[in-house]
Amino acid sequence: MKKYVIKRVVTALFTLLAITLILFILMQLMPGSPFNDEKLNDTQRASLYAKYGLDQPIVVQFFRYVINMFKGDLGVSYKISKNTPITQLIASRLPISIGVGFAAVMIGALVGLCLGLLAAFKKDTVWDTLATIISVIGVSVPSYVFALALSYQFGFKLKWFPMLFSAKDVIGSSVLPSISLSMFTMASIARFTRAEMIEVLGSDYMLLAESKGLSGNKLIFAHALRNALIPIITVLAPLVVDLMTGSLVVEKIFSIPGVGSLLVNAIQSNDYNVVIALSFIYSAMYIGIMLVVDILYGVIDPRIRVAKEGD
Amino acid sequence: MADTTVLTKEPYVPQDEDFKLKGNIEDILVDTNFASQSFWKEVVARFRKKKSAVLGLIFVLVITFFAFIGPGMNQYTYSGQDLSQKNLAPRIPIIEYTGFFDGHENIATTKGTKTVNLYFENKLPDVFYWFGSDNFGRDIWTRTWSGAQVSLIIAVAAAIIDMIIGMSYGLISGYFGGKVDMVMQRILEIANGIPRLVIVTLLLLVFKPGMLTIIVALMLTEWVGMSRIARAEMLKLKEQEFVLASRTLGAGSMHIIFSEVLPNIIGPIITQVMFSIPTAIFTEAFLSFVGLGIPVPRCSLGSLISEGFNSFTTHPYQIIPPIVVMALLMLSFNLVADGLREALDPKLKEM
Repeated sequence: MKKYVIKRVVTALFTLLAITLILFILMQLMPGSPFNDEKLNDTQRASLYAKYGLDQPIVVQFFRYVINMFKGDLGVSYKISKNTPITQLIASRLPISIGVGFAAVMIGALVGLCLGLLAAFKKDTVWDTLATIISVIGVSVPSYVFALALSYQFGFKLKWFPMLFSAKDVIGSSVLPSISLSMFTMASIARFTRAEMIEVLGSDYMLLAESKGLSGNKLIFAHALRNALIPIITVLAPLVVDLMTGSLVVEKIFSIPGVGSLLVNAIQSNDYNVVIALSFIYSAMYIGIMLVVDILYGVIDPRIRVAKEGD
Repeated sequence: MADTTVLTKEPYVPQDEDFKLKGNIEDILVDTNFASQSFWKEVVARFRKKKSAVLGLIFVLVITFFAFIGPGMNQYTYSGQDLSQKNLAPRIPIIEYTGFFDGHENIATTKGTKTVNLYFENKLPDVFYWFGSDNFGRDIWTRTWSGAQVSLIIAVAAAIIDMIIGMSYGLISGYFGGKVDMVMQRILEIANGIPRLVIVTLLLLVFKPGMLTIIVALMLTEWVGMSRIARAEMLKLKEQEFVLASRTLGAGSMHIIFSEVLPNIIGPIITQVMFSIPTAIFTEAFLSFVGLGIPVPRCSLGSLISEGFNSFTTHPYQIIPPIVVMALLMLSFNLVADGLREALDPKLKEM
């Protein structure tokens, strides 16, 4: 187990380093420099370059960059809000994004679980078909389609919830974005729960438990559910990816002041420093979650660990 | 010495008349009831049994048909603007008499909603925009289908290119095993750890968006999954007798990989390609939405959606066609891929 964890952590660190290298190379390739101002003369430009360390050899610049990134110094924004440290820009936005994302996962997991169980217990009935249709749609239709539809129907037409995010009504204005983000989570968990549950219900140990005379509820909650839900951790990886992509667009649609809309704004106004810094944060978050998922999976299912140690 | 004389002699090549048919071919009984079917015939039969997959295939074909025929079906072009005819609601000849698609729309004002028909107010009795016209007076019908065309071309090209790359990578890694496999898998792990979204976004920031750069950027997103599948299949097959036989006959590694093993794993590969097409369509739409899509005046489904988004509360008909086409396209490709996966591998548990 120890060996496995160490191996995972080392791989994760290497990945993070590789990303930093890619980001650094891309930053060098970015068109234009922030000091392309016509009004600057050569000495002023040289002093600015010296201030930001741009006169150093490229290798030194890279190491400084890596050290700064890992220390949490992400540079300053040039366009969106001039000379504000990016860390400061992000600090106020991160909680909002995480809040909406967390709510989406919770809604999705709960509804998806119920839908999957319903489909499994009422297999081959109307309920099953209905749940399957919902989950197929949820998996294949992108979250911003839901976001637009919900915001038109419930925000614009019926006016049940605010169409745009407002700081006064955080809970109310998070409802629609959370629901639109949760669709993919809901659908994949429903699909997964159904498949696992059907398999577990048909297994020998369930037959044994039933023949021991256990009651229906105990049978389901103590035996079936527990075994069916363990592998659910495998769907976490695509979920994280979807939430990240989804949040960018959904935050823009509902104009939520989160990290996603900051990234979209930065892309649109060519604020490369912010784009690079946010890319680093997204990557670090993604790698961190993947690491936790991998390790959890190794703890829960030793077969995976052995297989991965083997190769 | 006698042996060498035998060897130098011209070898005798048997002729057809040296052989005589023994037995009577008509006497051989073939069990027609349970005759073995070819693999692909069975796949088609299984695929046709799955209604959702057939429906998906029909939708894919219909949308593809319109994507290539649709833009030429009326006199408008995807970039032709007519500012005097902007923001017109959908109007279709003949159907307009039913009250639908007759060019009316509800406009919300401070005194409540009122119904207007801009075709009559602007004195345009003979003008028809089947899906309406947008903010610059461009025909949404033409733009939707030409956008669908661009999206489809980008998605299919990206899927095919990443199939070729991912497949070769996985097959080579799996076939050679050992150190080669170890190094290639470590590289893969690192590549997989990088969020694709980040890489695609950054690449398009550096290399300005265009059809080719978008295809290249999308290509980078799916090859990891493809190579995993190819490697797993290769590990299953490389110990089998036909590979051993081929190697004994002196076949080279590349011949074994691409001519012997590859035809046997084409099923899972095709399924994976079908799954990566909707992902590519989605990623392209996402990029357009954040402003890194196909440059104007060309349009894709994604750029149409992001244009329509700006006025979707006042003129909802502008965003509906591209969003419906995109949702249907992604749904259908997923259904087809699901059906194909089950048809190619009936043992697979349903998920």
